[in-house]
Amino acid sequence: MLRELKFLLSLWKTNLAAAMEYRLAFFSQSIGMILNDAVYFVVWIIFFDRFPSIRGWQLTDMFIVFGISASAFGLAGLLFGNAFNLGDIIVKGRLDYYLSLPRPTLLHVLASRVVPSSFGDFLYGFISYFASGQFSMGGLGRFIIAVALAMTVFLAFLVLVQSLAFWMGTGGVFTSMAINAIVTFAIYPITLFNQTAKVILFLVIPAAFMGAVPAGFVKGFSWSTLGLMLLGAAGFLTLAILVFHAGLRRYESGSAYQTEV
Amino acid sequence: MKKYLAVFKINLLNSLTYPAELVTRSAMILLFMWIFFQLWRITFTAAGSDIINSLSLRDTMWYLLLAETLELGRPRLARVISEQVKDGSIAYLLNKPYNFLLYQLSSGLGESLPRMGMLFVLGGAQVWAMAGPPPDLVNWPIALVALAGAWLLHFCVNALIGLSAFAVEEVAPFEWIYQKLVFILGGMLIPLDFYPVWLQTIAKSLPFAYMMYGPARLFVQPDPVFFTQIILGQLLWLAVLGGLLVLVFSRGMKRLAINGG
Repeated sequence: MLRELKFLLSLWKTNLAAAMEYRLAFFSQSIGMILNDAVYFVVWIIFFDRFPSIRGWQLTDMFIVFGISASAFGLAGLLFGNAFNLGDIIVKGRLDYYLSLPRPTLLHVLASRVVPSSFGDFLYGFISYFASGQFSMGGLGRFIIAVALAMTVFLAFLVLVQSLAFWMGTGGVFTSMAINAIVTFAIYPITLFNQTAKVILFLVIPAAFMGAVPAGFVKGFSWSTLGLMLLGAAGFLTLAILVFHAGLRRYESGSAYQTEV
Repeated sequence: MKKYLAVFKINLLNSLTYPAELVTRSAMILLFMWIFFQLWRITFTAAGSDIINSLSLRDTMWYLLLAETLELGRPRLARVISEQVKDGSIAYLLNKPYNFLLYQLSSGLGESLPRMGMLFVLGGAQVWAMAGPPPDLVNWPIALVALAGAWLLHFCVNALIGLSAFAVEEVAPFEWIYQKLVFILGGMLIPLDFYPVWLQTIAKSLPFAYMMYGPARLFVQPDPVFFTQIILGQLLWLAVLGGLLVLVFSRGMKRLAINGG
């Protein structure tokens, strides 16, 4: 475990160094993403200015939900950037490189890339929380825990969906649909949805674990909410790992020449 | 003109070659329209009224469908053009006996039309089932005219963003911010009619309202005076943005350095 952690830290250090080679691009993408998120959030400010409450959900709740989702999304891109194109890697036979090395394949492939703009998303989440009017030091601690667990669920969901590429032979279309689905559901008030939809949002597209549930935890500590978040993260992560390895047994090399830098 | 028609036809046929992929990609609209319906159904109920700012729930849903169709169906030209500039493949296009900008317009239109058609059919079936039948067929031609003008405005801005690759390394941040400005000032997620009056005035003096709000509003509530305003506004902004596009392109050509190999 400690060995894998050291391996991850080295990978992250290398990825960051590679991203910082093009410093201007890195910072312009990060700042651009912060502006992008901020401008997008203005829609909710306009909406709640006109309609102050939607079944008890208010603008301050949106600040926290948006913040958690943005930071979780950003953290996934920073630490496990290849989670966004795992399907493509599988379909193009690019797993060969990772399979030939003495490291856990899934961990290695996910952590081999950083998405530069993700830094902007990650930072914006904290800005959104600070701007919510509900900031406290205790809340900040809960926010960090919430982001880590939301990221885990998001990552696991991406791995699950993209592992379908082992069976279906295609990755790109479902990846973008999956990302759109989970992020869109996560940033809309959960009070919009009926019981059936809520079951889907917990068990099928786990957007509730990326938005509403962590937001509730940030607003006020509760053992049951923490337990639910841990269960969701552990459950989806376990399932993702199992499905990926089941798919890996079917994997065939593309025998293409590839260079990984 | 024949050559541009040929380019248009090739791209149209290319988009139709894999109908299953076209349908799958377009299925995203079902998710967005479903969420919008949940949001606006509850909002209208909470407001205690069937009509808000002269729009009913049915009008709002068909408005959002057309707006979403335009947004999801427009070609991602910015990325295409910027990649061509950055990797030098623009050289292969510049030495051909056609105008680069008209080539991109024909190619983008060929790609867009099937996608927008499929988005509207899928989304329309869903909105019909959820919110009620579409607007009167009499409205459709004038909305189509405004839709064509809106598409051309999108083309001009996207091409300008793509051509900024002559000057900057990364155009993605401009693309993101442009998209979010269309969301807010174009009334893509919330009809401009629901905005505070001061913000409506600002939005309607900018080109974004003519790119999104105008055609969508005409679709649900056509009005000859409003139609004239929208068309005149589109023509004005087309002159401005089109002129700027031609100027930027010719300046970019002077700066372009193509390395052989």
